[in-house]
Amino acid sequence: MTVEYVDAGEAVNHSALSSMPGIAPAVTNGIDYERLLNARSESQNWLTYYGAYDGQRYSLLDQINTGNVSKLSPAWIFQAGQSGQMAATSTYAFEACPLVVDGVMYVTGWDGSFWALDAVTGKELWRYKHAVPFDVSLCCSNVNRGCAVANGKVFFVTPNAQLLALDATNGDVVWQKTIGDVRAGESASIAPTVIKDTLITGSAGGEFGVRGHIDCWDLETGEQRWRTYTVPKPGEPGSETWPADGEAWQRGGGNHWVTGTYDPELNLYYAGTGNPAPDFDGGVREGDNLYTDSVVAMDVDTGEIKWHYQFTPHDLWDYDSTMEMTLFERDGKKLLGHFDKNGYFFVLDRTNGELQHVTPFVDRIDWGVITRDGKVTPRKYPDKEGEPVHFYPGPAGAKEWTHAAYSQKTELFYVPVADVGATATRRRREFKEGIPYWGAGVQVDIDDMAGSVSAFDTYGEEKWRWRIDYPMAASVLATAGDLVFAGTPTGEFVALDARTGEKLWEFQCGSGHHSSCSTYSVDGKQFVVVPVGWGGWLEGIVPGLLGQGHGSAVIAFALPD
Amino acid sequence: MTIAEEQITEERSEMLARLGLDGQNKASMGRVLATGSIAEATERADGTMEATIRIKEDEVCWEPAILVLPHGGDLELTVINDDKNTHACLLPSNGDQKFLWLVNHSRGRATVRLDGPGYYWYSSPGGNDEGRGLTAAIVVQGEVPPEARLDRPSQPRP
Repeated sequence: MTVEYVDAGEAVNHSALSSMPGIAPAVTNGIDYERLLNARSESQNWLTYYGAYDGQRYSLLDQINTGNVSKLSPAWIFQAGQSGQMAATSTYAFEACPLVVDGVMYVTGWDGSFWALDAVTGKELWRYKHAVPFDVSLCCSNVNRGCAVANGKVFFVTPNAQLLALDATNGDVVWQKTIGDVRAGESASIAPTVIKDTLITGSAGGEFGVRGHIDCWDLETGEQRWRTYTVPKPGEPGSETWPADGEAWQRGGGNHWVTGTYDPELNLYYAGTGNPAPDFDGGVREGDNLYTDSVVAMDVDTGEIKWHYQFTPHDLWDYDSTMEMTLFERDGKKLLGHFDKNGYFFVLDRTNGELQHVTPFVDRIDWGVITRDGKVTPRKYPDKEGEPVHFYPGPAGAKEWTHAAYSQKTELFYVPVADVGATATRRRREFKEGIPYWGAGVQVDIDDMAGSVSAFDTYGEEKWRWRIDYPMAASVLATAGDLVFAGTPTGEFVALDARTGEKLWEFQCGSGHHSSCSTYSVDGKQFVVVPVGWGGWLEGIVPGLLGQGHGSAVIAFALPD
Repeated sequence: MTIAEEQITEERSEMLARLGLDGQNKASMGRVLATGSIAEATERADGTMEATIRIKEDEVCWEPAILVLPHGGDLELTVINDDKNTHACLLPSNGDQKFLWLVNHSRGRATVRLDGPGYYWYSSPGGNDEGRGLTAAIVVQGEVPPEARLDRPSQPRP
């Protein structure tokens, strides 16, 4: 006898089986280019990845200050968690900076996750979860650095190189664009930047021998405005820095995987570029390898590279220069400050790229020397096949992607410093699309390391240092309350006196920090928020803490009522 | 939809059976993942794809173990529980995962949207169904759109 099946109905959204309402106030409707230009003046909000186009990670909020920070305590905790299988299960982590608009927080996570939260209570308002292939190529873990907001929408990228525009009130997809080739080893992790009526993104995948590019998209439709490759073809400017008769340029790397900064007066977007590929085998790519390990100043309307400065010519140590290009002024001059993986702090004239000065910012540098006027002399690098070479800093750099802050009050930079070395042994290999293309075996030291939050003036002179036993691996925030906030790999979230480096407060968050904190206020109450959770490219950053417990929380702090 | 027997060598099938890797409470407590059959989804004229996935009695695994789609897009699934126990189905889909409760001897539907290329796991998220064998793969074939590819000559692949 045939028994009829019970009708199980239609599958429902997983989030429908939760307490979240699925809707958020329409707070982003009025966010246009004018508001983004003045983002810092809206100190109650955190409207862009760095808080403002200049990349300073500096807030005007001062309710929480050196006099009362000792009373700071958790206001709420949001636990993200995960259901089902995901790519790179062992490496997921928060690497995002939360944005906040008029009481609504937007946070991205690993594996295509996006959450809208009530910024006062931490209550989940809606979520979006993109389906990310289990087999997507991820050089450095399943992470995402954040989103952009404008015109009623939020924008973010997924590990499988999709760019999404979501309705900011409910997470519904407005448009979706494929921005990279996952078969080639491309992925995406950058927080997009809204400029005018466009959106700027970059690609990831430099460890797979892709050709880096920076893209501009129409904000409303997702149509491409321009694409600029960061490795030139034969005959294009910069192609003379690659082998003339080879294929190296086709696999040259130079990916823009961390958000750039923007000077609206100059109409220039400052994009940092990543390492050349293969990372450690320079013999197959003789020359300086432009525009890898560089800042490229791009006309935002056309994508044309107006000028460039290369921080590590012919890189042999994996010294990406993707990290923030902080814009500041000194004596009326428009300048750009950059703390590079190679251990040196560069200050450039941002109108033309002219070098002002170079200074070291970490104790141990032996890969080579860069003089104050910018002359580079390599000393230790993988050269002979099979011969191990130890060098400082290791491939995660003296400062990884995590960001420094610059206080307009103290005129100091606050830098998360990593002091750890590594050994690379050159192992040449053939290039195959979609397969890692490093050209070496690499092991980062696990028993000799240090870190600090270090304060420097704009000339690179160190003013104070707050030391820890491990490399710093999270971004720093500076506020007008004369405070510097930073999270440690061992879970402490600390507030330092911006003028002295004295630790004034700490809270153990239960897992290591590898993201970017931000600050905001609602109804006159200031909060500091930090995504917490140990993970990411730990084998490169601090393998000595590879076994630390994971976490997946967003924690907001405030003063007692 | 056509369901083929395992598209693996006979030697491998024999070894899986001999060692008790392809069933419940043989070599280990559960069935080792992806040791079952392979099937291809069918495609309608409008590009929407269709397939059936089911849980067979006392096998605690999805049939097929690997479902292959020709390209990314929308997939309409018929989901059947032929087991005499209750299970569920948690599927990847752009926007949110899709959940379906599957009491004994039940049949439901799910529509999912997936990018290609790449492969995804889905499962029954109750108890340890996932570890016992109720975790299966959806493989999406194809290439990314031409406009998303790198401007460079064709490169060697493994």
